Order: sequence, then structure tokens, then C-alpha cells
Amino acid sequence: MDTPKRILVACGTAIATSTVVAKGIEEALKERGISSVMIRQCKASEVRSLVDGVNLIVTTTPVPTDLNVPVIQTLAFLTGIGKEEVIEQIIEALKD
Amino acid sequence: MEVFLTTLQAVMDNLGATVVLPIIIFFVALIMGAKPGKAFRAGVTIGIAFIGINLVIGLMWSSLSGVAQAMVTNWNIQRDVVDVGWPSAAAIAFGTDVGLWVIPIAIIVNLLLLVFKVTKTLNIDIWNYWHFAFIGSMVYMVSQNLAYGLIAAAIASALGLFLADWTAKAVQKFYNLPGISIPHLATAPGVPFAIFTNWLIDRIPGVRDWKVDPDTIQKRFGVFGEPVIMGLVIGLVLGVMGYYNADQAAVLILQTGMNLAAVMLLLPRMVQILMEGLIPVSEAARDFMKKRASDREIYIGLDSAILIGHPAAISSSLVLVPIVILLSIILPGNRVLLFADLAIIPFIVALFAPLMNGNIFRMIVAGMLELGVGFYIATSTAPLFTAAAQNAGFVMPEGASQITSIGDGFLWPQLLFTKAVDTLGVFGLVLVAALLVVVWALYAKNPTKWERIAGAPEE
Repeated sequence: MDTPKRILVACGTAIATSTVVAKGIEEALKERGISSVMIRQCKASEVRSLVDGVNLIVTTTPVPTDLNVPVIQTLAFLTGIGKEEVIEQIIEALKD
Repeated sequence: MEVFLTTLQAVMDNLGATVVLPIIIFFVALIMGAKPGKAFRAGVTIGIAFIGINLVIGLMWSSLSGVAQAMVTNWNIQRDVVDVGWPSAAAIAFGTDVGLWVIPIAIIVNLLLLVFKVTKTLNIDIWNYWHFAFIGSMVYMVSQNLAYGLIAAAIASALGLFLADWTAKAVQKFYNLPGISIPHLATAPGVPFAIFTNWLIDRIPGVRDWKVDPDTIQKRFGVFGEPVIMGLVIGLVLGVMGYYNADQAAVLILQTGMNLAAVMLLLPRMVQILMEGLIPVSEAARDFMKKRASDREIYIGLDSAILIGHPAAISSSLVLVPIVILLSIILPGNRVLLFADLAIIPFIVALFAPLMNGNIFRMIVAGMLELGVGFYIATSTAPLFTAAAQNAGFVMPEGASQITSIGDGFLWPQLLFTKAVDTLGVFGLVLVAALLVVVWALYAKNPTKWERIAGAPEE
């Protein structure tokens, strides 16, 4: 079994918008049969201290750019606009 | 209608929010067009969240009110209004009799204002309808009239749309979010404070050129951004102040520290469950509203959580945390014991940034003003806040301390609504609505000028 990929989902509170994004990613990946993914929510101010070992950061708000981890900043899960493209981007980013 | 509402209220008071809210959410989700299975799961999840939040509030309560009482005896500092944090406030607001109806009410208000081209904002941020429910609940508590509470919630939702329209250009430009506006009643009420602070500082030679660099602040104050450590430290400090002379002082102090660190981690987790339960409702509501909104250009109204990652918002709140703790101790007449809501400060300052061009020094000053005033607002409205919590079924020990939170107990909209209704009854609601209409009309007459005042760039 592969080691699960780890996604860090960030927003201002780690409560509201990041929950929508985390659940959105979880569902979309499940539909595509990808299950070996761990998703953790955090606040934007915590990203730097939680970034170790993370494969991808998905965020609704700006986060630092010098983390050496791919960052996808998106509102698609909140507005519903362009959601499919973002999900494709996420899957692409998790591949390698 | 009156009889219907009274009967309904009696039934709900007996069942409590953990049972009633799931049922209501189930039906609201169905009406909005969610699938029955999803709607059902949503309802149950929300009930679970309420039970979880209640447990954590109980833990926080027993830790903090003990300390608060000990502090009165030891130091004669009366800080008996406990800050339970906005996550609790949101749960309380959704759990009151007003909260049960807020989602359909705010959707109707929004669609009407869109159809009549009064607003440009489509507020799909259903989660933050709790702010409207909060104001409605406070009005309900002060008037003991559910209809007044529901009307107040409707007016508050319109206020959110106005503030969103007014600040949209500034947000879109500064935060680079085309097509987005922020109808969030914890953030938008700060704009007047920012306008005033700018006006003031621009008149002080020397000071008007002061700037602070966000990077140095993030490095030096980073720990204030980590709620768990902050909870532990505050718990230990409060523990020492309250129990230094008690039997087994060390045990009590360490326990207070750990309990409060636990609250800082657990409370947001519980509220995540509430949010999770709301997702099917908010997605269904979003699609429902989008289908019915016209084709012309509209702004999508979102949570200010999307602004909070900006370095200016993070840095200025990091500095504000120790400042407001200090304020809570030294301000005479304040009774609020700050705790859980120290984490909400980024929301309070987020809309200062466009007006102040991200100048952290100015944002800190404006934050001190808004929160400094907030201590007095919160102290005076705490009895209503506590009553609302009881109405929502949260367990408040009889005669114990009162509760509040920075969001939205510290903010002026709820004070405006409750004072108006308390003094003038139903005319208070008319007055607040009329004020909003006048301000909105003035804005509509000269939107560009107004938007510049709120921080929009010159074209």
C-alpha cells in the first residue's frame, strides 16, 4: 500500500470555509476511487508550523509562498464555479 | 400567526435545540432541493455538534468561572462575564427560536433586494447567517417577542448586504478577489473605526508616517497565532492569579492551564461538525439562490475567513492579542474576562486593511479602538447574551457568571438593535430600518464616493 498523500486545507479559522473545502475534496476523491489521502484543516497562521510532510496545500486565503509545497488557492468549493477544474488540479498535484 | 408561534415555541422549549434543530435543518434542506438522505444526515450531524459544543462549553465554564470568582476574592477584580468565543455564539444564535428561522428569512430578504436591484450581493455564505440570528436572538431576549426578533434578523441580513456592497470594491482590489463581497457582520462593522482612525492619524505630524513590517511581527509574535499554546499560557496565568493561595495550588493551576488548552483545540473541532452538517444546506441554498438571481453582474458574498491569511491581517492581530488582554485588565468598569475569542481578532481587523493600505500600525490602533469600546458594549449586553444561550438550550448554572464573546458581543450592531428595541419597542425596529434605508439611499446616490471612503482605489 502507498503511503497516504497528505493535504493541508487552510482558511482563516480552520472552521468555516476550510471545512467546506476539506469535505469537497474528500467527496470528489472518493468518487474517483482515490482513498489514500489524509486531509487536515488548519488556520492560515498555522500553515508554517504544520507544513512538514505535507504534499499539497489547498487554501481559501493567502498563505506564505516559500514553503516548497505546491499551493492551490481557490474559492471554487465555496462558489461552485470552476470546481471540477480545481479538483483535476488537486489530483494532478497529488500524482507525483 | 401569534398562536402558531407561541405553540411552536412551547414545543421547542421542551425538546431543545439538539432535537429541534436537526428536524428544522432536514426540512429546510429538503425545501432547498437537497436529497433526502443528505438532508437527514445534515440534520443529525448538527444535533451532534450541539451536544459536543455543550460539553466543551461546560468544561470551559467550570474552569473559567471558578477562576473568575477566585479573582474577585483575591484581587477585587470583577471579571465575571466570561468570553465563550464566537464558535459558541454561532451555536447559540442558530439554536435560539430566532435561529431556527434565520436561513429562509435571510434568503428571502436577499432575493427580494436583488430583484429590486437594491443590492448587488448574493450572500451564499449561509454559515454566517448566524450573525443575523444572533442580533435577532438578542432582540428577542430584550423584547420577549419572537416576531421582533425575526424582523431584527431580517434587517440585520440587509445590513450585511449593504456593508458588503459598500466595501466590495475595496475588498476586490486590495485582496485581489474579483466578483467577491463580504457580507460578514463581524468584519464589516469595523469600517467606521478604520475611517475614524485614518482621519485622526492623518492629523498627527510624524505619526502619520509610521509603518510596521509584517514579517518581523509574525516572527516575534508567532505564538499568539497558535490557539493551543495561547490557551495553555492564559490558563496558567489565570490559574496563578486565582489559586496562588489555595490548597493544592499547583494542581489547580496546572489543571486550569490544561483545561483551557483543551478548550482551544476542542471547541473549534465541535463547531467544525456544525459546519459540516450545514454544508448540504448551504450548497442547496446556494444553488437555489443562484437559480433565482438575475443574470446581471452580482457579487458573490463570502466569509471573511478568505481574507484572514493576508499578512497584514495576521500580523496586526498577533500584536492586538496581548494589547486587548491588557485592556481587559486595566479598563475601569469592564467585567469581561477575555479568553476563547482572542482567535477572532483577524476578522475584526480584516476590512481595515484596504482603507489603511495594509499599514499594520494603523490597523492596530483601529483595532484597539473598536475592541476597547467593545468591552463596554459586551459588559452591558451580557445578560441578553446569557439569556439567549439559555434559550438555545445551553446549560448555564443558575446565578453564575454571565457570558459574551468578541464576535459579536463586542460589536455595535447588536447594541444598536437591542437599545433601540429596549427604549422604543417596535418603533425601535422601524427606526433602525429607516436608518439603514437612508444610509443606503445616500450610498446609491453617489456610490463611487462612498466606496472610496471605504478604501476603494481611485480609478
